[in-house]
Amino acid sequence: MTKEMQFKTIVAQYCEVEPENITNEMRFREDLGFSSLDFMSFLGELEDTFDVELEEEDLVQVLTVAEALELMERLQEEA
Amino acid sequence: MLIRDILEESETSYSDIKAVRWLKKKEILEESYSELMAHVRATRKGLLAEGFQGSHIALIGASCVEWIESYLGIVTGKNVAVPLDAGLPCEDLTDLINRSDSEALFLGPKQGAFLEDILAGCPKLRKIWILQAEEPGHADERVLSVASLVAAGENSDADSDRPDYEDVATIIYTSGTTGKSKGVMLTQGNLAENVKAVNYWREPGTVMLSVLPIHHAFCLVMDWLKGFSLGATLCINDSLLHMVKNMAVFQPDVMLMVPLMLETIYKKLSAAGPLIPKKLLASKVFGGNLKIIFTGGAHLDPFYIDKFADYGVEVLEGYGMSECSPVISCNLPGDYKAGSIGRPLSNVELAFENGEILVRGSSVMQGYYKMPEETAETLKDGWLHTGDKGYLDEDGFLFINGRVKNLIILSNGENVSPEEIENKLALGKLVGEVIVTGENNGLTARIYPDQDVVASKHMNEEKIQRELQAFLDKYNKNQPGYRQITGLVVRKNPFIKSSTRKIKRQEILIDEPITE
Repeated sequence: MTKEMQFKTIVAQYCEVEPENITNEMRFREDLGFSSLDFMSFLGELEDTFDVELEEEDLVQVLTVAEALELMERLQEEA
Repeated sequence: MLIRDILEESETSYSDIKAVRWLKKKEILEESYSELMAHVRATRKGLLAEGFQGSHIALIGASCVEWIESYLGIVTGKNVAVPLDAGLPCEDLTDLINRSDSEALFLGPKQGAFLEDILAGCPKLRKIWILQAEEPGHADERVLSVASLVAAGENSDADSDRPDYEDVATIIYTSGTTGKSKGVMLTQGNLAENVKAVNYWREPGTVMLSVLPIHHAFCLVMDWLKGFSLGATLCINDSLLHMVKNMAVFQPDVMLMVPLMLETIYKKLSAAGPLIPKKLLASKVFGGNLKIIFTGGAHLDPFYIDKFADYGVEVLEGYGMSECSPVISCNLPGDYKAGSIGRPLSNVELAFENGEILVRGSSVMQGYYKMPEETAETLKDGWLHTGDKGYLDEDGFLFINGRVKNLIILSNGENVSPEEIENKLALGKLVGEVIVTGENNGLTARIYPDQDVVASKHMNEEKIQRELQAFLDKYNKNQPGYRQITGLVVRKNPFIKSSTRKIKRQEILIDEPITE
Protein backbone atom coordinates (compact mmCIF):
# COMPACT_ATOMS: atom_id res chain seq x y z
CA MET A 1 0.00 0.00 0.00
CA THR A 2 1.38 3.43 -0.90
CA LYS A 3 1.87 5.97 1.82
CA GLU A 4 -0.91 8.07 0.30
CA MET A 5 -3.35 5.16 0.28
CA GLN A 6 -2.37 4.26 3.85
CA PHE A 7 -3.14 7.86 4.77
CA LYS A 8 -6.50 7.81 2.99
CA THR A 9 -7.45 4.55 4.67
CA ILE A 10 -7.12 6.32 8.02
CA VAL A 11 -9.17 9.26 6.66
CA ALA A 12 -11.90 6.82 5.61
CA GLN A 13 -12.33 5.61 9.21
CA TYR A 14 -13.86 8.96 10.06
CA CYS A 15 -16.16 9.44 7.10
CA GLU A 16 -18.43 7.52 4.80
CA VAL A 17 -16.15 7.81 1.76
CA GLU A 18 -14.09 4.91 0.43
CA PRO A 19 -10.29 5.53 0.42
CA GLU A 20 -10.10 5.38 -3.39
CA ASN A 21 -12.78 8.07 -3.69
CA ILE A 22 -10.96 10.54 -1.44
CA THR A 23 -9.31 13.19 -3.59
CA ASN A 24 -6.56 15.53 -2.52
CA GLU A 25 -8.69 18.64 -3.01
CA MET A 26 -11.31 17.50 -0.50
CA ARG A 27 -11.71 19.64 2.61
CA PHE A 28 -11.89 17.67 5.87
CA ARG A 29 -14.67 19.64 7.51
CA GLU A 30 -16.81 20.69 4.56
CA ASP A 31 -16.42 17.78 2.11
CA LEU A 32 -15.67 14.80 4.34
CA GLY A 33 -17.85 15.84 7.30
CA PHE A 34 -15.09 15.62 9.91
CA SER A 35 -15.96 17.12 13.29
CA SER A 36 -13.22 19.16 14.96
CA LEU A 37 -12.46 16.20 17.21
CA ASP A 38 -12.48 13.67 14.35
CA PHE A 39 -9.81 15.84 12.80
CA MET A 40 -7.69 15.94 15.96
CA SER A 41 -8.08 12.23 16.55
CA PHE A 42 -7.21 11.49 12.93
CA LEU A 43 -4.02 13.56 13.17
CA GLY A 44 -3.13 11.78 16.41
CA GLU A 45 -3.34 8.52 14.48
CA LEU A 46 -1.09 9.91 11.76
CA GLU A 47 1.51 10.66 14.43
CA ASP A 48 1.59 7.01 15.44
CA THR A 49 1.36 5.55 11.95
CA PHE A 50 4.00 7.74 10.33
CA ASP A 51 6.11 8.43 13.43
CA VAL A 52 5.87 12.22 13.36
CA GLU A 53 5.05 14.80 16.03
CA LEU A 54 2.38 17.38 15.37
CA GLU A 55 1.73 20.59 17.26
CA GLU A 56 -1.86 21.74 17.64
CA GLU A 57 -0.72 25.15 16.38
CA ASP A 58 0.28 23.64 13.00
CA LEU A 59 -3.19 22.37 12.38
CA VAL A 60 -4.97 25.63 11.66
CA GLN A 61 -3.12 25.69 8.35
CA VAL A 62 -4.56 22.34 7.30
CA LEU A 63 -7.90 22.39 5.54
CA THR A 64 -7.58 19.85 2.72
CA VAL A 65 -6.32 16.28 2.27
CA ALA A 66 -3.43 17.62 0.17
CA GLU A 67 -2.39 20.04 2.93
CA ALA A 68 -2.40 17.25 5.53
CA LEU A 69 -0.33 15.03 3.24
CA GLU A 70 2.14 17.83 2.62
CA LEU A 71 2.46 18.56 6.35
CA MET A 72 3.06 14.92 7.12
CA GLU A 73 5.69 14.55 4.40
CA ARG A 74 7.46 17.70 5.57
CA LEU A 75 7.52 16.44 9.16
CA GLN A 76 8.85 13.07 8.05
CA GLU A 77 11.64 14.76 6.13
CA GLU A 78 12.53 16.94 9.12
CA ALA A 79 12.56 13.97 11.50
CA MET B 1 -18.54 23.44 53.38
CA LEU B 2 -15.82 25.13 51.29
CA ILE B 3 -13.60 23.84 48.51
CA ARG B 4 -10.77 24.10 51.01
CA ASP B 5 -12.62 21.81 53.43
CA ILE B 6 -13.15 19.22 50.72
CA LEU B 7 -9.49 19.27 49.74
CA GLU B 8 -8.21 19.15 53.30
CA GLU B 9 -10.46 16.16 54.03
CA SER B 10 -9.03 14.39 51.01
CA GLU B 11 -5.50 15.26 52.07
CA THR B 12 -6.15 13.65 55.45
CA SER B 13 -7.94 10.57 54.11
CA TYR B 14 -5.96 9.88 50.95
CA SER B 15 -2.54 11.44 51.59
CA ASP B 16 -0.52 8.66 49.90
CA ILE B 17 -2.91 8.06 47.00
CA LYS B 18 -1.87 9.63 43.71
CA ALA B 19 -3.92 12.73 43.06
CA VAL B 20 -2.62 13.70 39.61
CA ARG B 21 -0.85 11.78 36.86
CA TRP B 22 0.45 13.33 33.63
CA LEU B 23 2.78 12.76 30.72
CA LYS B 24 6.11 14.45 30.12
CA LYS B 25 7.10 13.29 26.65
CA LYS B 26 6.49 9.55 27.08
CA GLU B 27 7.19 9.37 30.80
CA ILE B 28 4.29 9.22 33.28
CA LEU B 29 4.74 11.57 36.24
CA GLU B 30 2.52 11.70 39.30
CA GLU B 31 2.03 13.35 42.67
CA SER B 32 0.14 12.26 45.79
CA TYR B 33 -2.59 14.15 47.61
CA SER B 34 -0.10 15.31 50.23
CA GLU B 35 2.29 16.58 47.52
CA LEU B 36 -0.55 18.29 45.65
CA MET B 37 -1.80 20.01 48.77
CA ALA B 38 1.71 21.13 49.74
CA HIS B 39 1.92 22.93 46.38
CA VAL B 40 -1.59 24.35 46.76
CA ARG B 41 -0.76 25.70 50.20
CA ALA B 42 2.53 27.17 48.97
CA THR B 43 0.74 28.88 46.06
CA ARG B 44 -1.87 30.31 48.42
CA LYS B 45 0.78 31.60 50.83
CA GLY B 46 2.81 32.92 47.93
CA LEU B 47 -0.17 34.93 46.69
CA LEU B 48 -0.62 36.38 50.17
CA ALA B 49 3.10 37.21 50.39
CA GLU B 50 2.82 39.03 47.06
CA GLY B 51 -0.06 41.10 48.43
CA PHE B 52 -2.96 39.38 46.68
CA GLN B 53 -5.95 39.18 49.01
CA GLY B 54 -9.48 39.56 47.68
CA SER B 55 -7.98 39.90 44.19
CA HIS B 56 -9.20 38.53 40.90
CA ILE B 57 -6.58 36.31 39.30
CA ALA B 58 -6.89 34.94 35.76
CA LEU B 59 -5.58 31.65 34.39
CA ILE B 60 -4.92 30.93 30.71
CA GLY B 61 -3.53 27.59 29.66
CA ALA B 62 -4.17 23.98 28.82
CA SER B 63 -4.70 21.37 31.55
CA CYS B 64 -1.51 20.79 33.50
CA VAL B 65 -0.66 20.09 37.10
CA GLU B 66 0.60 23.66 37.60
CA TRP B 67 -2.73 25.03 36.32
CA ILE B 68 -4.84 23.08 38.80
CA GLU B 69 -2.46 23.76 41.71
CA SER B 70 -2.59 27.48 40.91
CA TYR B 71 -6.39 27.41 40.62
CA LEU B 72 -6.71 25.69 43.98
CA GLY B 73 -4.14 28.05 45.50
CA ILE B 74 -6.40 30.93 44.49
CA VAL B 75 -9.77 29.53 45.59
CA THR B 76 -8.61 28.05 48.89
CA GLY B 77 -7.61 31.54 49.98
CA LYS B 78 -9.53 34.80 49.75
CA ASN B 79 -8.92 35.39 46.05
CA VAL B 80 -11.17 34.85 43.02
CA ALA B 81 -10.05 32.62 40.12
CA VAL B 82 -10.92 33.64 36.56
CA PRO B 83 -10.20 30.69 34.24
CA LEU B 84 -10.16 31.76 30.59
CA ASP B 85 -10.27 29.81 27.33
CA ALA B 86 -6.69 29.52 26.09
CA GLY B 87 -7.98 29.01 22.56
CA LEU B 88 -9.45 32.50 22.28
CA PRO B 89 -7.75 35.16 20.18
CA CYS B 90 -5.42 37.41 22.18
CA GLU B 91 -7.66 40.46 21.79
CA ASP B 92 -10.56 38.57 23.42
CA LEU B 93 -8.32 37.42 26.26
CA THR B 94 -7.03 40.90 27.02
CA ASP B 95 -10.62 42.14 26.99
CA LEU B 96 -11.67 39.45 29.49
CA ILE B 97 -8.65 40.07 31.75
CA ASN B 98 -9.64 43.73 31.86
CA ARG B 99 -13.38 43.19 32.19
CA SER B 100 -12.84 40.73 35.05
CA ASP B 101 -10.58 43.26 36.84
CA SER B 102 -7.85 40.65 37.12
CA GLU B 103 -4.74 41.84 38.94
CA ALA B 104 -2.56 38.83 38.21
CA LEU B 105 -2.36 36.08 35.64
CA PHE B 106 -1.13 32.50 35.41
CA LEU B 107 -0.16 31.90 31.79
CA GLY B 108 0.60 28.57 30.08
CA PRO B 109 4.01 28.35 28.37
CA LYS B 110 2.31 27.63 25.03
CA GLN B 111 0.50 30.96 25.28
CA GLY B 112 3.81 32.84 25.48
CA ALA B 113 3.04 34.52 22.14
CA PHE B 114 0.28 36.47 23.90
CA LEU B 115 2.55 37.84 26.59
CA GLU B 116 3.60 41.14 25.03
CA ASP B 117 0.05 42.07 23.98
CA ILE B 118 -1.27 41.17 27.42
CA LEU B 119 1.41 43.26 29.14
CA ALA B 120 0.61 46.20 26.87
CA GLY B 121 -3.17 45.80 26.98
CA CYS B 122 -3.80 44.92 30.64
CA PRO B 123 -2.34 47.66 32.81
CA LYS B 124 -4.00 46.36 36.01
CA LEU B 125 -1.89 43.18 35.99
CA ARG B 126 0.72 43.34 38.72
CA LYS B 127 2.18 39.87 38.13
CA ILE B 128 2.22 37.23 35.42
CA TRP B 129 3.41 33.76 36.40
CA ILE B 130 4.30 31.42 33.58
CA LEU B 131 3.18 27.86 34.36
CA GLN B 132 6.67 26.35 34.23
CA ALA B 133 9.60 25.66 36.53
CA GLU B 134 12.21 27.65 34.58
CA GLU B 135 12.44 31.41 34.99
CA PRO B 136 11.28 33.05 31.75
CA GLY B 137 14.05 35.68 31.95
CA HIS B 138 11.73 38.43 30.75
CA ALA B 139 12.78 42.07 30.81
CA ASP B 140 9.55 43.06 32.57
CA GLU B 141 9.98 42.26 36.26
CA ARG B 142 6.28 41.42 36.56
CA VAL B 143 6.85 38.23 34.55
CA LEU B 144 8.11 35.27 36.59
CA SER B 145 7.79 31.49 36.74
CA VAL B 146 5.10 29.86 38.86
CA ALA B 147 7.94 28.01 40.61
CA SER B 148 9.12 31.34 42.05
CA LEU B 149 5.66 31.96 43.52
CA VAL B 150 5.55 28.49 45.07
CA ALA B 151 9.06 29.00 46.49
CA ALA B 152 8.00 32.35 47.98
CA GLY B 153 5.04 30.59 49.61
CA GLU B 154 7.19 27.79 50.99
CA ASN B 155 9.40 30.40 52.66
CA SER B 156 6.50 32.33 54.14
CA ASP B 157 4.83 31.58 57.49
CA ALA B 158 1.65 33.58 56.97
CA ASP B 159 -1.29 31.71 55.45
CA SER B 160 -4.44 33.20 54.02
CA ASP B 161 -7.65 33.19 56.06
CA ARG B 162 -10.33 30.73 55.06
CA PRO B 163 -12.82 32.23 52.65
CA ASP B 164 -16.47 32.53 53.67
CA TYR B 165 -19.22 30.33 52.25
CA GLU B 166 -20.76 33.33 50.46
CA ASP B 167 -17.49 34.62 48.98
CA VAL B 168 -17.17 34.50 45.21
CA ALA B 169 -14.62 31.77 44.43
CA THR B 170 -14.54 31.88 40.67
CA ILE B 171 -15.78 33.81 37.64
CA ILE B 172 -16.37 31.66 34.57
CA TYR B 173 -17.03 33.31 31.23
CA THR B 174 -19.83 31.98 29.09
CA SER B 175 -21.29 33.00 25.74
CA GLY B 176 -23.83 35.78 25.92
CA THR B 177 -26.81 36.16 23.62
CA THR B 178 -26.01 39.83 23.20
CA GLY B 179 -22.68 38.94 21.65
CA LYS B 180 -20.66 39.76 24.77
CA SER B 181 -19.51 36.93 27.02
CA LYS B 182 -20.72 37.06 30.62
CA GLY B 183 -18.76 36.35 33.80
CA VAL B 184 -20.68 33.84 35.93
CA MET B 185 -19.94 34.47 39.62
CA LEU B 186 -19.88 31.26 41.66
CA THR B 187 -19.30 31.24 45.40
CA GLN B 188 -17.39 28.82 47.57
CA GLY B 189 -20.73 27.39 48.65
CA ASN B 190 -22.05 27.09 45.08
CA LEU B 191 -19.09 24.94 44.01
CA ALA B 192 -18.84 22.82 47.16
CA GLU B 193 -22.58 22.10 47.19
CA ASN B 194 -22.47 20.96 43.56
CA VAL B 195 -19.56 18.64 44.31
CA LYS B 196 -21.45 17.10 47.22
CA ALA B 197 -24.85 16.92 45.50
CA VAL B 198 -23.67 14.80 42.56
CA ASN B 199 -24.31 11.57 44.35
CA TYR B 200 -21.93 8.95 43.09
CA TRP B 201 -19.09 7.17 44.75
CA ARG B 202 -16.02 5.30 43.56
CA GLU B 203 -13.22 3.63 45.49
CA PRO B 204 -10.39 6.03 46.43
CA GLY B 205 -7.64 5.70 43.85
CA THR B 206 -10.15 5.23 41.04
CA VAL B 207 -8.58 6.54 37.84
CA MET B 208 -10.20 9.39 35.93
CA LEU B 209 -8.87 10.80 32.65
CA SER B 210 -9.66 14.48 32.17
CA VAL B 211 -10.11 15.32 28.49
CA LEU B 212 -12.34 18.41 28.56
CA PRO B 213 -11.02 22.00 28.55
CA ILE B 214 -10.13 22.80 32.14
CA HIS B 215 -11.59 26.33 32.07
CA HIS B 216 -15.10 24.86 31.64
CA ALA B 217 -17.25 24.49 34.74
CA PHE B 218 -18.14 20.89 33.84
CA CYS B 219 -14.49 19.83 33.71
CA LEU B 220 -13.30 21.97 36.58
CA VAL B 221 -16.00 20.94 39.02
CA MET B 222 -16.91 17.41 37.96
CA ASP B 223 -13.51 16.09 36.90
CA TRP B 224 -11.24 17.92 39.26
CA LEU B 225 -13.13 19.01 42.35
CA LYS B 226 -15.47 15.99 42.42
CA GLY B 227 -12.58 13.67 41.60
CA PHE B 228 -10.47 15.10 44.41
CA SER B 229 -13.39 14.76 46.83
CA LEU B 230 -13.49 11.02 46.03
CA GLY B 231 -9.75 10.51 46.37
CA ALA B 232 -9.52 9.74 42.67
CA THR B 233 -6.36 9.87 40.58
CA LEU B 234 -6.88 12.52 37.90
CA CYS B 235 -4.91 11.92 34.72
CA ILE B 236 -4.26 14.75 32.30
CA ASN B 237 -4.85 14.31 28.60
CA ASP B 238 -2.01 16.33 27.06
CA SER B 239 -3.84 17.00 23.77
CA LEU B 240 -7.05 16.08 22.00
CA LEU B 241 -4.75 14.64 19.36
CA HIS B 242 -3.92 11.89 21.83
CA MET B 243 -7.24 11.32 23.59
CA VAL B 244 -7.74 7.77 22.34
CA LYS B 245 -4.09 6.87 22.81
CA ASN B 246 -4.11 8.28 26.34
CA MET B 247 -7.10 6.15 27.27
CA ALA B 248 -4.86 3.17 26.63
CA VAL B 249 -1.95 4.79 28.51
CA PHE B 250 -3.84 5.77 31.69
CA GLN B 251 -6.56 3.06 31.64
CA PRO B 252 -9.26 5.16 33.32
CA ASP B 253 -12.31 3.82 35.19
CA VAL B 254 -14.36 7.01 34.76
CA MET B 255 -14.34 9.79 32.18
CA LEU B 256 -16.32 12.94 31.52
CA MET B 257 -17.02 13.64 27.88
CA VAL B 258 -19.09 15.80 25.63
CA PRO B 259 -21.22 14.03 23.00
CA LEU B 260 -18.75 14.90 20.23
CA MET B 261 -16.16 12.67 21.88
CA LEU B 262 -18.52 9.71 22.02
CA GLU B 263 -19.30 10.23 18.35
CA THR B 264 -15.61 10.20 17.40
CA ILE B 265 -14.81 7.17 19.56
CA TYR B 266 -17.77 5.33 18.10
CA LYS B 267 -16.40 5.95 14.61
CA LYS B 268 -13.17 4.32 15.73
CA LEU B 269 -15.02 1.33 17.18
CA SER B 270 -17.13 0.92 14.04
CA ALA B 271 -14.14 1.20 11.71
CA ALA B 272 -12.62 -1.90 13.29
CA GLY B 273 -15.26 -4.07 11.60
CA PRO B 274 -17.34 -6.93 13.02
CA LEU B 275 -14.62 -9.59 13.09
CA ILE B 276 -12.74 -8.22 16.11
CA PRO B 277 -14.33 -9.35 19.41
CA LYS B 278 -15.96 -6.43 21.26
CA LYS B 279 -14.14 -7.16 24.50
CA LEU B 280 -10.77 -7.03 22.79
CA LEU B 281 -11.68 -3.87 20.92
CA ALA B 282 -12.97 -2.19 24.09
CA SER B 283 -9.73 -3.03 25.84
CA LYS B 284 -7.72 -1.55 22.95
CA VAL B 285 -9.77 1.64 22.58
CA PHE B 286 -10.85 2.32 26.18
CA GLY B 287 -7.79 1.00 27.98
CA GLY B 288 -9.51 -2.00 29.55
CA ASN B 289 -10.94 -0.51 32.76
CA LEU B 290 -13.48 2.07 31.61
CA LYS B 291 -16.85 1.58 33.31
CA ILE B 292 -18.54 4.97 33.26
CA ILE B 293 -18.68 7.95 30.92
CA PHE B 294 -20.55 10.96 32.26
CA THR B 295 -21.64 13.18 29.43
CA GLY B 296 -23.13 16.63 29.30
CA GLY B 297 -22.90 20.01 27.63
CA ALA B 298 -25.10 19.05 24.68
CA HIS B 299 -27.75 16.54 23.76
CA LEU B 300 -26.56 12.96 23.28
CA ASP B 301 -28.34 10.69 20.86
CA PRO B 302 -29.48 7.68 23.01
CA PHE B 303 -28.16 5.47 20.19
CA TYR B 304 -24.70 5.87 21.71
CA ILE B 305 -25.85 4.72 25.15
CA ASP B 306 -26.85 1.33 23.75
CA LYS B 307 -23.80 1.05 21.53
CA PHE B 308 -21.33 1.79 24.33
CA ALA B 309 -23.17 -0.64 26.62
CA ASP B 310 -22.23 -3.36 24.11
CA TYR B 311 -18.60 -2.59 24.97
CA GLY B 312 -19.26 -2.69 28.73
CA VAL B 313 -19.29 1.09 29.21
CA GLU B 314 -22.18 2.83 30.92
CA VAL B 315 -22.92 6.27 29.44
CA LEU B 316 -24.73 8.56 31.88
CA GLU B 317 -26.07 11.84 30.60
CA GLY B 318 -26.46 14.91 32.75
CA TYR B 319 -27.52 18.50 32.36
CA GLY B 320 -26.14 21.74 33.62
CA MET B 321 -24.82 25.17 32.87
CA SER B 322 -22.03 27.31 34.27
CA GLU B 323 -24.66 29.39 36.07
CA CYS B 324 -25.51 26.32 38.22
CA SER B 325 -21.93 25.34 39.12
CA PRO B 326 -22.72 23.48 36.70
CA VAL B 327 -24.74 20.26 37.29
CA ILE B 328 -28.54 20.53 37.58
CA SER B 329 -29.54 16.92 36.96
CA CYS B 330 -27.69 13.72 36.27
CA ASN B 331 -28.25 10.07 35.51
CA LEU B 332 -26.36 7.93 37.99
CA PRO B 333 -25.21 4.32 38.13
CA GLY B 334 -28.30 2.30 39.02
CA ASP B 335 -30.61 5.29 38.70
CA TYR B 336 -30.98 6.33 35.09
CA LYS B 337 -33.36 6.54 32.19
CA ALA B 338 -32.03 6.64 28.63
CA GLY B 339 -32.98 9.79 26.73
CA SER B 340 -33.47 11.74 29.96
CA ILE B 341 -30.91 13.98 31.61
CA GLY B 342 -31.45 12.36 34.98
CA ARG B 343 -33.11 13.38 38.19
CA PRO B 344 -32.51 16.89 39.58
CA LEU B 345 -29.79 17.04 42.24
CA SER B 346 -30.90 17.07 45.88
CA ASN B 347 -29.95 20.75 46.27
CA VAL B 348 -31.96 21.81 43.23
CA GLU B 349 -35.58 22.89 42.97
CA LEU B 350 -37.18 23.04 39.53
CA ALA B 351 -40.12 25.00 38.15
CA PHE B 352 -41.40 25.52 34.61
CA GLU B 353 -42.57 28.75 33.03
CA ASN B 354 -44.12 28.37 29.58
CA GLY B 355 -42.07 25.19 29.28
CA GLU B 356 -38.78 26.86 30.25
CA ILE B 357 -36.82 25.14 33.01
CA LEU B 358 -36.24 27.37 36.04
CA VAL B 359 -33.75 26.39 38.73
CA ARG B 360 -33.35 27.46 42.34
CA GLY B 361 -30.88 26.11 44.87
CA SER B 362 -27.55 26.36 46.60
CA SER B 363 -25.52 25.96 43.39
CA VAL B 364 -27.16 28.82 41.50
CA MET B 365 -24.77 31.69 40.70
CA GLN B 366 -24.77 35.10 42.32
CA GLY B 367 -25.06 36.86 38.96
CA TYR B 368 -22.96 38.02 36.03
CA TYR B 369 -19.94 40.10 36.95
CA LYS B 370 -20.70 43.80 36.42
CA MET B 371 -23.69 43.00 34.20
CA PRO B 372 -26.75 43.92 36.27
CA GLU B 373 -29.16 43.95 33.33
CA GLU B 374 -28.19 40.50 32.10
CA THR B 375 -28.30 39.24 35.69
CA ALA B 376 -31.82 40.61 36.17
CA GLU B 377 -32.95 38.96 32.94
CA THR B 378 -31.63 35.56 34.00
CA LEU B 379 -32.16 35.56 37.79
CA LYS B 380 -35.69 36.50 38.79
CA ASP B 381 -36.83 36.13 42.42
CA GLY B 382 -34.04 33.62 43.01
CA TRP B 383 -35.03 31.48 40.01
CA LEU B 384 -32.49 30.98 37.26
CA HIS B 385 -34.02 30.98 33.79
CA THR B 386 -32.06 28.32 31.94
CA GLY B 387 -33.17 29.13 28.39
CA ASP B 388 -33.95 25.44 27.88
CA LYS B 389 -37.40 23.96 27.57
CA GLY B 390 -38.17 20.67 29.26
CA TYR B 391 -40.38 18.60 31.51
CA LEU B 392 -40.24 16.08 34.35
CA ASP B 393 -41.71 12.65 33.67
CA GLU B 394 -43.82 10.67 36.13
CA ASP B 395 -40.67 9.10 37.65
CA GLY B 396 -38.99 12.45 38.25
CA PHE B 397 -36.52 12.30 35.35
CA LEU B 398 -35.88 15.53 33.48
CA PHE B 399 -36.15 15.78 29.70
CA ILE B 400 -35.16 18.65 27.38
CA ASN B 401 -37.24 19.44 24.34
CA GLY B 402 -36.21 22.86 23.06
CA ARG B 403 -34.38 26.17 23.48
CA VAL B 404 -35.61 29.61 24.37
CA LYS B 405 -32.39 31.57 23.96
CA ASN B 406 -30.61 32.17 20.70
CA LEU B 407 -27.49 30.15 21.44
CA ILE B 408 -26.07 27.40 19.25
CA ILE B 409 -25.16 24.31 21.29
CA LEU B 410 -22.57 22.18 19.51
CA SER B 411 -22.00 18.54 20.38
CA ASN B 412 -18.64 19.42 21.89
CA GLY B 413 -20.64 21.24 24.57
CA GLU B 414 -19.58 24.69 23.47
CA ASN B 415 -22.30 27.33 23.48
CA VAL B 416 -21.80 29.70 20.63
CA SER B 417 -23.40 33.10 20.41
CA PRO B 418 -24.11 33.68 16.71
CA GLU B 419 -24.19 37.44 17.20
CA GLU B 420 -20.65 37.43 18.57
CA ILE B 421 -19.38 35.85 15.34
CA GLU B 422 -21.69 37.80 13.04
CA ASN B 423 -20.28 41.05 14.44
CA LYS B 424 -16.80 39.96 13.38
CA LEU B 425 -17.81 38.61 9.97
CA ALA B 426 -19.76 41.76 9.21
CA LEU B 427 -16.42 43.59 9.02
CA GLY B 428 -15.64 41.83 5.72
CA LYS B 429 -15.89 44.25 2.79
CA LEU B 430 -17.85 41.80 0.68
CA VAL B 431 -20.22 40.89 3.54
CA GLY B 432 -23.48 42.79 3.22
CA GLU B 433 -25.61 40.81 5.68
CA VAL B 434 -24.64 37.73 7.64
CA ILE B 435 -26.35 35.21 9.88
CA VAL B 436 -24.58 32.30 11.58
CA THR B 437 -26.51 29.09 12.11
CA GLY B 438 -25.68 25.71 13.64
CA GLU B 439 -25.94 23.06 10.94
CA ASN B 440 -24.51 19.53 10.69
CA ASN B 441 -22.88 20.04 14.09
CA GLY B 442 -20.82 22.96 12.83
CA LEU B 443 -21.36 26.63 12.10
CA THR B 444 -22.60 27.88 8.76
CA ALA B 445 -22.35 31.51 7.67
CA ARG B 446 -25.21 32.63 5.43
CA ILE B 447 -24.00 35.74 3.69
CA TYR B 448 -25.75 38.18 1.40
CA PRO B 449 -22.89 39.93 -0.41
CA ASP B 450 -22.56 43.69 -0.41
CA GLN B 451 -24.08 44.58 -3.77
CA ASP B 452 -22.05 47.77 -4.17
CA VAL B 453 -18.80 45.79 -3.89
CA VAL B 454 -20.12 43.12 -6.28
CA ALA B 455 -21.05 45.76 -8.86
CA SER B 456 -17.88 47.82 -8.59
CA LYS B 457 -15.63 44.73 -8.97
CA HIS B 458 -17.84 43.10 -11.64
CA MET B 459 -17.90 39.88 -9.61
CA ASN B 460 -19.61 36.73 -10.82
CA GLU B 461 -21.03 34.01 -8.54
CA GLU B 462 -17.89 31.91 -8.61
CA LYS B 463 -15.67 34.83 -7.66
CA ILE B 464 -18.00 35.87 -4.84
CA GLN B 465 -17.98 32.31 -3.46
CA ARG B 466 -14.18 32.12 -3.71
CA GLU B 467 -13.54 35.47 -2.04
CA LEU B 468 -16.02 34.83 0.77
CA GLN B 469 -14.49 31.38 1.41
CA ALA B 470 -11.03 32.93 1.52
CA PHE B 471 -12.34 35.54 3.98
CA LEU B 472 -13.80 32.77 6.19
CA ASP B 473 -10.59 30.72 6.02
CA LYS B 474 -8.69 33.77 7.23
CA TYR B 475 -11.18 34.37 10.03
CA ASN B 476 -11.03 30.67 11.06
CA LYS B 477 -7.26 30.68 11.46
CA ASN B 478 -7.51 32.99 14.44
CA GLN B 479 -10.38 31.17 16.18
CA PRO B 480 -10.75 28.15 18.45
CA GLY B 481 -12.27 25.14 16.65
CA TYR B 482 -15.78 25.63 18.01
CA ARG B 483 -16.00 29.17 16.62
CA GLN B 484 -14.79 28.27 13.14
CA ILE B 485 -17.20 28.49 10.22
CA THR B 486 -17.40 25.20 8.37
CA GLY B 487 -20.24 25.97 5.97
CA LEU B 488 -20.90 28.89 3.62
CA VAL B 489 -24.14 29.74 1.89
CA VAL B 490 -24.02 32.74 -0.43
CA ARG B 491 -27.50 34.18 -0.52
CA LYS B 492 -29.05 35.54 -3.64
CA ASN B 493 -31.60 37.58 -1.72
CA PRO B 494 -31.33 39.86 1.30
CA PHE B 495 -32.66 38.39 4.58
CA ILE B 496 -36.28 38.96 5.53
CA LYS B 497 -36.41 41.81 8.04
CA SER B 498 -38.77 43.01 10.75
CA SER B 499 -40.32 46.47 10.77
CA THR B 500 -37.32 47.65 12.82
CA ARG B 501 -35.00 46.41 10.03
CA LYS B 502 -33.69 43.53 12.15
CA ILE B 503 -33.14 40.22 10.39
CA LYS B 504 -35.85 37.74 11.36
CA ARG B 505 -33.77 34.78 12.55
CA GLN B 506 -36.66 32.34 12.58
CA GLU B 507 -37.24 33.00 8.88
CA ILE B 508 -33.71 32.81 7.51
CA LEU B 509 -34.15 29.35 6.00
CA ILE B 510 -37.46 30.04 4.27
CA ASP B 511 -36.16 31.04 0.86
CA GLU B 512 -32.73 29.38 1.02
CA PRO B 513 -32.85 26.10 2.90
CA ILE B 514 -30.50 24.28 5.22
CA THR B 515 -27.20 22.93 3.85
CA GLU B 516 -26.78 19.20 3.19
